[in-house]
Amino acid sequence: MMWVCTGCSCLCDDIEIEGDVVRHACRIGAGLYLNRSVARAEPLIDGKRMDIDSAIERAVEILKDSKSVAIYGLNNSTLEAQKIAMKLAKKLSAYVDNGSKFGKLAEMILRKEIPSTTLENVKDYAYVIFYWGCDVHNSMPRHMSRYTYYPRGKKRQRGYEEDRFLVVVDVRRSHTAMLAKKNAVFIKTDDDGKLIREFLTALNGGIASGDVLRVVKELKKSDFNVVFGGGGLIEGLSNELEEFVKLVSNVGYFVPADYRTNSMGFFKSIFEAGIPKANFEDLLIDEKVDTAIIVGSDPLNSMPFEVAKRLVKLNLIVIDPKVSFTSKMADVVIPSAISGVECGGKMLRSDFVEVELKPIFKSEFDDVKVLKSISEGL
Amino acid sequence: MPSPMDIYKLLPKTNCKLCGEQTCMSFAFKLIKKEKKLEDCKPLFEPEFEEQRKKIEEMLKVVEKATETGLVVNEDLCIGCGNCIVVCPVHVYEDPEGAGSGFGVRLENPILRVENGVVRVVDVGLCRRYKEKTICVACRENCPTSAIAFLEEL
Repeated sequence: MMWVCTGCSCLCDDIEIEGDVVRHACRIGAGLYLNRSVARAEPLIDGKRMDIDSAIERAVEILKDSKSVAIYGLNNSTLEAQKIAMKLAKKLSAYVDNGSKFGKLAEMILRKEIPSTTLENVKDYAYVIFYWGCDVHNSMPRHMSRYTYYPRGKKRQRGYEEDRFLVVVDVRRSHTAMLAKKNAVFIKTDDDGKLIREFLTALNGGIASGDVLRVVKELKKSDFNVVFGGGGLIEGLSNELEEFVKLVSNVGYFVPADYRTNSMGFFKSIFEAGIPKANFEDLLIDEKVDTAIIVGSDPLNSMPFEVAKRLVKLNLIVIDPKVSFTSKMADVVIPSAISGVECGGKMLRSDFVEVELKPIFKSEFDDVKVLKSISEGL
Repeated sequence: MPSPMDIYKLLPKTNCKLCGEQTCMSFAFKLIKKEKKLEDCKPLFEPEFEEQRKKIEEMLKVVEKATETGLVVNEDLCIGCGNCIVVCPVHVYEDPEGAGSGFGVRLENPILRVENGVVRVVDVGLCRRYKEKTICVACRENCPTSAIAFLEEL
């Protein structure tokens, strides 16, 4: 049986499932399928086991009484669920955030202010491939072997050693950087802005360091080069992207390397709904919200202690298929389905290509139904 | 990987020829190449050599894990990225539309296949190291987590 993996934003669609054997999926994807029945969430109100309808009712009551709401997560939800969440956000005039820092770049791609392409085109035509500030070997394990550096494509028949040039830019020698061997370069940098300016100078015929000049020489060999930017790049530039956009338009194309499964879908949903993206951590620090709906995310696990402390004090409504640290602290827990395994729909890959999911099982409740009934209750 | 000399030091060193080899040194070589078994050395199983035999058995554990081509896969380190499968020259040649183009390998008996998130050796018969004895290390070279290793490098 064929399956579309929803472990990360690669959304690999060549996975075969036979009973309890998952073929071709990486450890993240195989784990998602094989451990589907482990640590499942149950409907809870203040830690007590309830039925799902009363949990939804309680959630509606909390929302009615609250002054300011934030909706956080939605990265593991389908486009359909995200659309309903946007309607709910408008109804509640709530803040929305998914915890990803790619908002500005994703919006630029949607407005066509920065050239972007699809991963299929990268496979067929790309020569120089940049991985800037991301360790895709760990965050999206099949990214390089399935779509970018290793596979042979239409115009790139001779394989990675001759027909591709890999450039990895990072602050440390990550696993991805270890793959930069023959016909490849690893540039260690502590200052992304400085390196971008160096690239721009070299592209205009100026003086730069040896590695940069080598990359620029390779860039001129092909008109299809691509930059994959990760969280490290955005953090490194502190969201000042003007020079980076200039570099990309000189180099070729930009594709975000955000591992969060459907975060590009989230950005498209808020873009279409016309809702600005909030920063959940700032909202918590400024104490602007009193209730939070967390959908398929575990912010308590990853937030700094000072911020997490404030999150626990809020009225928390968690919609999640699994037990998480956040769900243990929540006022209301509403169980849901694992997108792609138990419920279908559509998701956007990291390059904004729509992928139809192929669920293996069926579930009574999923994000769409839960969010719809909350919305109707209001 | 233990060297033949390490093993030779622990053998009886009598050149008794009971194993069919002329010297204990050549027996040590063949032991590592898996052409001889430890049981062929009969004097080693006498009580006075028991301690030495146990040491050799310990040393040979790494060799036992390896396939005929010397390929050792440590599944605990593998994250299932599939780099090894896509770079394998035999996979590219035999399955250009599948493994060669980045998809999961479509051969019935490939050399390697990712199953349940980790790489498994399915059939080394196709490997270039098996028949042609080419020293190909494409799969190991592109495994940054060191899940793949070859005996001669251990």
